[in-house]
Amino acid sequence: MAEQVTVHRPTLASKVGAALSHPVVFSLVFAFALGWLIVYLTGRDPGFAYSEMLNGAVTGSGLRNTLGRAVPIIGMALAVSVAFRSGVINLGGEGQMVVGGLAGALVAIYTPGPGELVIPLAMVAGGVAGAAWAMLPAFGQTRLRLPILITSLLLNYVARAITGYLVRFHFLDDSVTLTSTRQVPEIARMPRMPIFGGVSLSLALVIVLVAVAWVVYGRTVSGYETQMAGLNGRFARYGGIQVERQTVGVMVVAGTIGGIIGTHMIIGDAYRFIDGELVVSGLAWTGLLVALLAANHPVMILVAGLLFSGLQIGGLAMQRNADVSWRLSQVLQALVIVAVASRLTFGWFKRRRTGPSEGELEPAAVGEV
Amino acid sequence: MFEQLFDAALLESVVRAMVPILLAALGGMICERAGVFQIAMEGMMLAGAFAAVAGSYLAVYSGLGVLFGVAAGVLVSLMLAFGTVSRRGDPIVLGIALNLMALGLTGFLLPQIFGVRGTFRHERIDGLDRLPIPGLSDIPWIGPVLFDQTILGYLAFLLVPGIWLILFRTPVGLRLRGVGERPLAAESLGVSPIAYKYGAVIASGVLSGLAGAQLALGNLVLFTEGMSSGRGWVAVVAVMLGRAHPFAVFGASLLFAFAEGLGFRLQGNGLPVQITDALPFLVTLIALIAARKRFARLLDLTTGA
Repeated sequence: MAEQVTVHRPTLASKVGAALSHPVVFSLVFAFALGWLIVYLTGRDPGFAYSEMLNGAVTGSGLRNTLGRAVPIIGMALAVSVAFRSGVINLGGEGQMVVGGLAGALVAIYTPGPGELVIPLAMVAGGVAGAAWAMLPAFGQTRLRLPILITSLLLNYVARAITGYLVRFHFLDDSVTLTSTRQVPEIARMPRMPIFGGVSLSLALVIVLVAVAWVVYGRTVSGYETQMAGLNGRFARYGGIQVERQTVGVMVVAGTIGGIIGTHMIIGDAYRFIDGELVVSGLAWTGLLVALLAANHPVMILVAGLLFSGLQIGGLAMQRNADVSWRLSQVLQALVIVAVASRLTFGWFKRRRTGPSEGELEPAAVGEV
Repeated sequence: MFEQLFDAALLESVVRAMVPILLAALGGMICERAGVFQIAMEGMMLAGAFAAVAGSYLAVYSGLGVLFGVAAGVLVSLMLAFGTVSRRGDPIVLGIALNLMALGLTGFLLPQIFGVRGTFRHERIDGLDRLPIPGLSDIPWIGPVLFDQTILGYLAFLLVPGIWLILFRTPVGLRLRGVGERPLAAESLGVSPIAYKYGAVIASGVLSGLAGAQLALGNLVLFTEGMSSGRGWVAVVAVMLGRAHPFAVFGASLLFAFAEGLGFRLQGNGLPVQITDALPFLVTLIALIAARKRFARLLDLTTGA
């Protein structure tokens, strides 16, 4: 979409116009405007709700919680981006996270020894389990030609059932009413860093992952080759890239990250594996939306992940103080992506008013949005 | 053992489980025929279920509930049609985002409007009555299984041959398939691909909305957060397995419904709910493997291979 920035001295109005002509900025404005309307129609005060949301996300313990929740969101977004940018539509992040989470939790709960040993071991176990789970749909596509899009999604429900069964019948903590494992012993919990009143060490891990992704995506041969496969599979094949092997490879990486994040959610956040909690939280799907908004760019994932995390944490404050359900945050996040994917821009509205047709749109590739 | 498992009551619960899946799958099939990749049935069904309960609660009349359900399905389908057809957006991204939007919005409206979380049931919610067909419903076995449905159940059955007739025996169906298979050829004959694609997506919105209404007012009389619980995705697979042919899609829907019905039954026989819940999805995966030669098009779409 061509930017229609004036060549004259920029006035405030033209600056606003230029910002709005950026599709992501416009989509955010669009989503919040629609959210405003929804809150208004359900009889609450949208202005108050939004200001409580902003306050809740950054003031008091809000900033710490926003950073904390950004860990799984950014992590799952990275996992999605690894697959999406090479054209692998992995919708199984949820299952990979759940399976990895249980594996990591069990290792953390039942392995004796010092935290320096148990915590990394739990992470490795979670990563391996997540990778193994991700290999099922990967081989399904390369060996049996079953689309990952469908199989990875269906396996989410199977993962939920299997982990639920294991917790209920083999690792149940009888002392609580939840369907849950025992608590992770204090020694095996992820330590907190002494910043913003105590943020999980996993945040540092996720930032390292972002940096690694930035280097791999932009500066290495395999990063180039995986992206090539995503942009044009036929061309990549023609150029000698082994797309099938790559599909398995990116699924393994995505599953590993998913499993590690699942483990973090247990040993760094909830301290016990509760059946269904990782599913209900919707974190894997929030991560997917973040990856789409950031167009798979690692640094943008960091920014968008913090934004969506703030939306959710602020949403909880909004629910407490303004009687507006935090689920509004989920609606806003999905609406942003709907708007971006529909390529809504300020320019489109202007052109519609003035009439002349735009050029033929090329169909967008997956992940490019 | 088998006599305990397979009886008329099992078949009844199979048919009950099938109706929502079949309705949604028929809509997805129409889209597939028109060349629109449609994976938003899960969200449209969920929106339909919520709106159906809201409408029925409002009027204490299930008819208004069904109407609300259809309206909600159509609303989501219009967003999909606008994004994919008018704006040439990615149908996969839009489908996923719309599913999540429906999940969030219904979860938001539930406490905002009805002041409850999780599940909403109320005596004001008027469920869909079963309408036994006099005479036919008394036939042993078949009668209670087939001729004791809600109005939407009968509609779903009639739509299978009905849509077959429209698709393969009328000019409208011919043009719709033409738009899906050879859009340029269709356009050069004066058939507007955009109009037909919009029509197909809106039709799937209507059908998924009805599926939601059947789920929330027919099979149950309540709304639970995320109550479509994967049925819209199972419908996507039913369209793939049935190669977008009405009778084959019916067969695929029946297969998945059978797994769901059997799951309920096994649960009654003491099998853990965690296992029986997974059964429809495991059967779906096995059916996919058995029929794996059929998915070349979707694979092309997602890998560019």
